[in-house]
Amino acid sequence: MMLKGRYKGLEEKIDHALKERSGRTALYRAMKRGRDSRHKAVGALPGGEGFRNAVRSVKVRCLNQQDELVDRFARKVRERGARVFMANDGPEAISYILDIVKKRGARTVAKSKSLTSEEIEVNHPLEEAGVDVIETDLGELIIQKVNEKPFHLVFPAVHKTAVEVAEIFREVTQQDVPHDVDAIMRIVRKYLRPIFLNADIGMTGANVGVAETGAIVIETNEGNARLVSSIPDVHICIMGREKIVDTVEDALQMMLAHPISAVGQHLTTYVTMMAGRSPLGAGDGRGPRESHIIILDNGRSRMREDPLFKDALNCIRCGACMNICPTYGVVGGHTFGYIYPGPIGIPWTSEVHGLDKAAEFAPLCVSCGLCKEICPAGIDIPMMIAGVKDRDGAQNGHPRVNRILMAAEGMAKFGCATAPFSNWMMRNGLFRWAMEAFTGIDRRRALPPFRRQTLPKWFRRRGAVNWSKEPVRQAVFFADIYAAYNAPELGRAAVSALEALGCEVILPRQRGSGYPYIGYGDLKRAEKLADENVRLMMPHVEAGYDVVATEPTAAYCLKVSYPKLLHGRADAQAVADRTYELFAYLEMLENLAGGGEETTLYEGRRFGFHVSCHQRPLDAGRQAMDYLRRRGAEVELVETGTCCGMAGTFGMKKGMLGYELSQAVGEPLFQAFQEANVDTIVTESSVCAIHLREGTGIKVIHPLELLMEQGGTG
Amino acid sequence: MAVDVIERFVSKYETLSGRAHLADSAESAAEAVLSVLHDAGGTRLAAAELPDELTRTLEQRCVQAGVELLKPPYDGRSLPGAIDAAHVGVSWAEFAVAEAGALVEFATNDATRLVSTLPRIHLGIVRAEEIEASLLDAGPRIRAFMAAQPENATVTFISGPSRTADIEMRLTLGVHGPEMAHAVILNDQTPGRKGQG
Repeated sequence: MMLKGRYKGLEEKIDHALKERSGRTALYRAMKRGRDSRHKAVGALPGGEGFRNAVRSVKVRCLNQQDELVDRFARKVRERGARVFMANDGPEAISYILDIVKKRGARTVAKSKSLTSEEIEVNHPLEEAGVDVIETDLGELIIQKVNEKPFHLVFPAVHKTAVEVAEIFREVTQQDVPHDVDAIMRIVRKYLRPIFLNADIGMTGANVGVAETGAIVIETNEGNARLVSSIPDVHICIMGREKIVDTVEDALQMMLAHPISAVGQHLTTYVTMMAGRSPLGAGDGRGPRESHIIILDNGRSRMREDPLFKDALNCIRCGACMNICPTYGVVGGHTFGYIYPGPIGIPWTSEVHGLDKAAEFAPLCVSCGLCKEICPAGIDIPMMIAGVKDRDGAQNGHPRVNRILMAAEGMAKFGCATAPFSNWMMRNGLFRWAMEAFTGIDRRRALPPFRRQTLPKWFRRRGAVNWSKEPVRQAVFFADIYAAYNAPELGRAAVSALEALGCEVILPRQRGSGYPYIGYGDLKRAEKLADENVRLMMPHVEAGYDVVATEPTAAYCLKVSYPKLLHGRADAQAVADRTYELFAYLEMLENLAGGGEETTLYEGRRFGFHVSCHQRPLDAGRQAMDYLRRRGAEVELVETGTCCGMAGTFGMKKGMLGYELSQAVGEPLFQAFQEANVDTIVTESSVCAIHLREGTGIKVIHPLELLMEQGGTG
Repeated sequence: MAVDVIERFVSKYETLSGRAHLADSAESAAEAVLSVLHDAGGTRLAAAELPDELTRTLEQRCVQAGVELLKPPYDGRSLPGAIDAAHVGVSWAEFAVAEAGALVEFATNDATRLVSTLPRIHLGIVRAEEIEASLLDAGPRIRAFMAAQPENATVTFISGPSRTADIEMRLTLGVHGPEMAHAVILNDQTPGRKGQG
């Protein structure tokens, strides 16, 4: 395979990851189990998903008073007899630790899992100083023995089979290790026990710091942190300053949020709230017992000043964003990460390890937005990733194929103006080959045709509608590119469905939604387009019109992205508040008309429904399913819990950072549809439809196409 | 109401691979401890700080059964080895959280923490009336303990045996800490008594 350009290294890594079948299967299983268990456990909470609001409000409140909390926490820690060191960066923290090592003549450090210690890469300098550093979390120990980085945040060694792990411990212990998990576990216990009993220093991270009490909170399932924080005479804790919360209740909220978001567990098996340094037994037989709390800044204070990246400090490190990320789920943490992996790892890496490191894996984000929807702290991760891509693009330029896809609206207009010639060209193999070579758009993707009779042309030509009575509502139809230029018949069907329910429809001047600018990271253009569309919509909204969109991503832009891009501007918020997805709007109109009647129109049909990622935050998709069900269809929601892989135009791109990755992400969903035994797949997304059609071989339609089949509005 | 909370604790604790026992007196609690030790074929029991009556009862029973009982104060020089050598560790839980299946241990000496971590089997004893329904109800108790201990203090939530799924996502118990965990719920109808923490 020919790989070239800036992302050659990344593409090679993806290629390699995609070929690792067993690792991929294990990772997929781990992630699926993580998000399924989370879903179940969160559903059982009294407030369900509402717990995310509670978590966010704690984090935001504490972030706003962070300096005061850090001071109060430090004072409390000192009052309790432990020591505090404020480290501006990694080297300062490391030199403080090396000082302790020297003073105490320490030879061994037993560590429990700590991402913050990995952030500053503490192990290497310790080893250089002649200290034995032993990771005691089982997963971390396995990868430490083979010099690898974590493959998954919660399950660092999930890509290793029991056989491989047995071989690793055969090397380590120089004894035969049976290839079964229970036997390995007994050997690991025996191997680690003397290390726990004799380590000179125990090193931990902290999941939370509590300003009110000066306690740190350490959560583990294995219990290793209990041992390393109790037996050795010296305890060192490294924590980021953003971990500090105000009250005990805040800490309890975090203790719940971490494991429930990560794996659907209510609490980790062991949660230690440790304040000061306790003696071990009675008498003065032992050396002095110390506890050192290192509070690390390492870019965090600067982050707090950055309006876009500040939100990353609300991260509680649960790993939920990794469990739902479609591309992380096929390539894993070795490819999708530097030290901090996964979606939130992109802004964090950019801020603590540098933009260049983050830009090396930022293109793996396909901007599906699912991480934002699962994040317990409601962090707008996709927008921060767009920010990383934007900064990188400003420095190094955007890849050509991304530039072309960001300009899709112009291309569509050109395609329509030159149809049917343009369509004939698009079906021509030689042309597609040349186009692939020039633009980087994969020649295997069937692209939608261009229509000479665009939706705006049709709308102008048909003229005004005569209303015999006052319309019940008035709406702007927001067409976006697909319904305007590629499938104007869908736009027409939407308009007639709305009008049939007594809604006046207008199609004023508008632009495409411009989501690719966010996805590929050109925030200046994204903002400009958001501004333009909001200004175009606002007079109508003020005149009493709603805005109705049929393309999920367009509705998402209007409701979610534009207010954010325009920094919460009042007009953007007003337009957002009045924007609806088509089927949600139709449902509302039917209810206004006294509720839709049940019919048998689609009786005998069995549809598999696909909800696109951008519908999830809008709680959309279900209305279209209900619409079909009320008309007699059997509709099954088929989903894997993540994206289908197309992700807008991402899956159209040639190569690893496009088509190949998109196919790999889609495989489990394709299989689920094939096993669901449906005659037709229904989805409201024009791009997901292309992907599902090619991936499953099953007919895929937009629900509006069913309306067209009937020649009316059903 | 209280019965309902106890049932919820037991059910959650057992789904987390722990085993719950009910005891109506210090004697029956001590009985439960010894039967756990006996079933494991063990002869050495390490105890943390327990209410006085319970410690006395346990001592008597251990003498009768020929069991070696290690108890506080532990000589610092003998640690952590002495506790590591015990077959069962028995400790006191100030309260429990039903929805999480967690016993909550208050400690001001790390020997207490080792009793519930080092031996292969841990047994925690909690009073029935001290079981809270929800985690978020635990705040005042923790605050009061931390305030009463102006220097070192450790609170630990323990929900069953030590667990990991780090190899092939297979749940395995006892990788570092106990592989078996027992909770004895003491319902002796004499509220308000407490040993030192």
